[in-house]
Amino acid sequence: MMPTAIIDTVGVLSTAGALFIVSAGLTLVFGAMRLINIAHGSFYMYGAFLLTTIAGAGTGLRFWLAVVAATIVVALIGAAVELVIMRRVYDSEHLTQLIATFGLFLIFADLALHFWGDNSRTANPPAAFAGQVAIGGAVFPAYDLVVIAAAVAVGLGLWVLLQRSGLGWRIRAAVEDPETLQAGGTNLPLLRTGMFTMGALLAGLSGAIVAPQVAVAPGMDSSIVVAAFIVAIIGGLGSVPGAALGALIIGAAETIGTIVAPTWASSFIYLAMIAVLVARPSGLLGIPERRQ
Amino acid sequence: MRHARILSAMAAASLIAGVAACGSSGPSPSAGRGPVTIGESTTLSGAIAELGQSGLQGVQLAVADINAHGGLLGHKVKVVSADDAATPATGASNVRSMILNDHAVAIFGPVSSAVAAAEEPLAAEYKVPIFFHTSNDINLMGKGFTKYAFQVVPNTVMESRAAADYLAKQSGGKPITIATFAPAYSFGYDTVSGFLTALKDLHVHYKLVAQEFPPLEAPNISAYLSKIVTARPQYLFNAQFGGDLVTFTKQAAGYGLFAKTKVIAMYDSPVLEALGSSAPASAIGFDRAPFWAIPGLGAFNREFHARYGAWPSEWAILAYTAVQTWAYGVKRAHSFGGDAVSAALAGATVPTIRGDITIRACDHQAEIPEYVGVVASKPDPSYGEILWDPSSLFAAPFATIDLSCAQVEALRG
Amino acid sequence: MTVARQVLQAVARAAAGARRVRASQPGGALAPPAARATGLAGVAAVLVAFGFLLGASSLLTLEEAVGLALFAVATNLLVGYAGLVSFGQAAFYGLGAYTVALSWQHYNWPFWLTFTLAPVLGGAAAFLVGLVALRARFLYFALLTLAFSQLFYEIAENQYHFTSGANGVFGPMVPSALAQPRAGYFFVLAVVAACLAILWKVTASSFGLTLRAIRENRARAEALGINVFRQELIAFVISGVFCSLAGTLFVVYSQSAYPELLDWQQSGYAVFMVVIGGMFTFLGPALGAVIYTVGQQFLISRTADWQLILGAVLLLIVLFRPDGLAGLADSAARWLAQRVPAVMRRGAPGSKAPPRVAPVASASEGEPQHAARVPGDERE
Repeated sequence: MMPTAIIDTVGVLSTAGALFIVSAGLTLVFGAMRLINIAHGSFYMYGAFLLTTIAGAGTGLRFWLAVVAATIVVALIGAAVELVIMRRVYDSEHLTQLIATFGLFLIFADLALHFWGDNSRTANPPAAFAGQVAIGGAVFPAYDLVVIAAAVAVGLGLWVLLQRSGLGWRIRAAVEDPETLQAGGTNLPLLRTGMFTMGALLAGLSGAIVAPQVAVAPGMDSSIVVAAFIVAIIGGLGSVPGAALGALIIGAAETIGTIVAPTWASSFIYLAMIAVLVARPSGLLGIPERRQ
Repeated sequence: MRHARILSAMAAASLIAGVAACGSSGPSPSAGRGPVTIGESTTLSGAIAELGQSGLQGVQLAVADINAHGGLLGHKVKVVSADDAATPATGASNVRSMILNDHAVAIFGPVSSAVAAAEEPLAAEYKVPIFFHTSNDINLMGKGFTKYAFQVVPNTVMESRAAADYLAKQSGGKPITIATFAPAYSFGYDTVSGFLTALKDLHVHYKLVAQEFPPLEAPNISAYLSKIVTARPQYLFNAQFGGDLVTFTKQAAGYGLFAKTKVIAMYDSPVLEALGSSAPASAIGFDRAPFWAIPGLGAFNREFHARYGAWPSEWAILAYTAVQTWAYGVKRAHSFGGDAVSAALAGATVPTIRGDITIRACDHQAEIPEYVGVVASKPDPSYGEILWDPSSLFAAPFATIDLSCAQVEALRG
Repeated sequence: MTVARQVLQAVARAAAGARRVRASQPGGALAPPAARATGLAGVAAVLVAFGFLLGASSLLTLEEAVGLALFAVATNLLVGYAGLVSFGQAAFYGLGAYTVALSWQHYNWPFWLTFTLAPVLGGAAAFLVGLVALRARFLYFALLTLAFSQLFYEIAENQYHFTSGANGVFGPMVPSALAQPRAGYFFVLAVVAACLAILWKVTASSFGLTLRAIRENRARAEALGINVFRQELIAFVISGVFCSLAGTLFVVYSQSAYPELLDWQQSGYAVFMVVIGGMFTFLGPALGAVIYTVGQQFLISRTADWQLILGAVLLLIVLFRPDGLAGLADSAARWLAQRVPAVMRRGAPGSKAPPRVAPVASASEGEPQHAARVPGDERE
């Protein structure tokens, strides 16, 4: 039984790792702007597509450089989207903002067909992590360790950024009291552009990291955005530790669901979401919204 | 290619056109020597767009070839196409619009069997022949059969039986352990149960050690894979296709699954091309129409490659032969009329790029084989891509893998 | 089941109450009832004429659009009037369609039975979902309704032995007369017209006013002794009833039911129709439904890049016309009114008091006028 437990644990951690990186971006953008960005899934897909293009068949240094390059390109796309479109709708209804991001989602999906066609693509995992790791009779993909390490690095990096640099309270203030924040000398538009770019960067990074493990193809945008959304909601929208917890819960729920009741496995996830929202409306680690 | 006619439900022009269209029981070929229109409604966006786009290329190439040889009954042929977004209602309204507004005399398409099920009765209602070249649910020619519908692709029963046949030969009568892996929707469930039934019919002594049904388009399937890995089956039958099969192969390779377990799956040319050097050598593939394996396709392959810069997938080949089938029916009937074409094709033997194909009279199923082979370890010298090992190639004959006419009748109840 | 009784009472009272409430309104800037009635009669006449004039293909597109118009207006009872942005109305829409389809497939029940059963089931499901979802507010309400909708979707997709899974249910499940494009169109048109009339009465009744009062200032409404939760639950049930009925009309149009009818995108389409058409008018969402359906159909059959164009149109609307196309009509009317002062005196058609700022006291007839509370709108 022991090897199975190890395999499942590593599987849950790598599933959760990839989900965490993409959900952290979604939750950060929500935390800073109260914006639910459906085009977040597009950024993820572009990260994966760009990686396959830039890395080609490379499995050495070129692969790692491609991860960095794909992530940066997606971040730049994110910055451009914020500057050209999103900042024009911050004062609109939230429903309006949601529809703007859905419009972007459709546009990005169509453009991706033009850039990369409709055939599935893949990337090779880096040579150093192409094989398997054997521990205590269990065998699992070495590349899972890359995904888990990236998630841990992103988590630590965000913790330092938000807690140690004072960016965390500025983000909260940007939502709760933007006027005072601006009076205090913070450049609010720059902060917003920065956070939106950061969200796109994380989505792009996640897409680039998972590219060697999946078929990179149209449609991966819509499947990830729903998954990332559920993770962020269960953990608490706006909370980065919540995204980590939510990702672990979803990863574990899928594994347990496939063992206990396969035909109900996907329904479990929504039941969990309903249960969490009813018991703790702002999510497991979310900060309850101030009421008027 | 597409009509420039402006359609608006609100526009007076379409009112007049509508008045003219209603009351006519079927499409009329364009007057005089103008072109006739055929419609390809298929999935051109989203996760399964790859199959639809490829099929559309096959249809367009077939029509270009027909026109290069003077057209049909003196008419040029033109194609209108539309995206069904894999949604039945959209597919149905596309088909209706093609028949009524574009006066399409034949319909080709879709990828999804659910969309096909919505379009089949509609084509019958307007007495327009419809050719399924990608969707292959047996029920389309069973319970849902109409005399205007034709299936020019191996159906779900044929596909799983061909794989079961191959496995029966491999096992050589010895008891084996197997597992199944299939997308969690109707196609997956049907294919797996068809495969297991076929194994029973072939008296294979098997023990089923795991059955997993991961969701469609799941980005990470480690939870399902780990159960297969720990069950250690000798054989794994996988009913996934396209992108999901690519994802499976990448992640299963990470667990070293291919070293211990022989995987049987739809390793067709688009999947092998996407996998490139990570194609799983010695896995067993099945393919509805492999371009490298069908005798006599050479000239077509070169023509396709010259035009699209890639070798034709089975979706393109099947779509091409679907158009050839229709064109033969038109010539034989000397008419574009649905009743005449359908009657001319039932039981006919149609010359195509892949040789003669007989359309079985009882259910309009094309009598074509399903192909099985072993994934090669090196790129094929003629095509420069990893394909199947030529010595392993096996064409499961139609007569042994499809249901008999009596069995199809029984399906209709 | 007091809520069920109250739903019926709300609908019944609507007929009697509407007139009184309207009379008691301080004069809004609405078109006089006569002009409005003339306009409506004109639209109705055109729609009926289409039934005789259009070809089968256009007629079926219009039939789909008219059915979706009911779905959109019923959704807007929550979004626009009650300020409850639900991303889960597809659950009830799909439930209506599946009620007809599965009863036919498994029990061979006649259409007329299931057609009447579906709204009852839709209302019951909405009651249960509402009991849970309405405990949350704003964004979290939207998310809960979305989760319920996805739960319904997963059940339809995965309980394949009962629902046929992703393949859906197809077949001659409506009387053959209704399957004919023209008869089907007139049937759908008649049902939708009747339903819209009822919904109009509901929104114009004292219950409709109460909803708007809650939306404008929940605390004040509670202080006035209004049971907010109960009123919202009633609105949710009424919306569920009519969304479910719209789902049965989808079956009349398509003779099928499949899981995509239940998922978040289907709910999203209803909300788009509301926003495109304008959530601050009663018939705006209906206009949105027609434009969305006809437009998408047109694009799909004309270009492979329909997603690009649809996305661009949505962006342009939210960037430049955030109050929807009905708002555009309003602006046009106001612009006209400035040019033609004489017309202004009599009230330009469809124009109303400056939207979004009118206090409840002057909210006239059934039109919601203040910004709806929408996801994430908890800043105030």
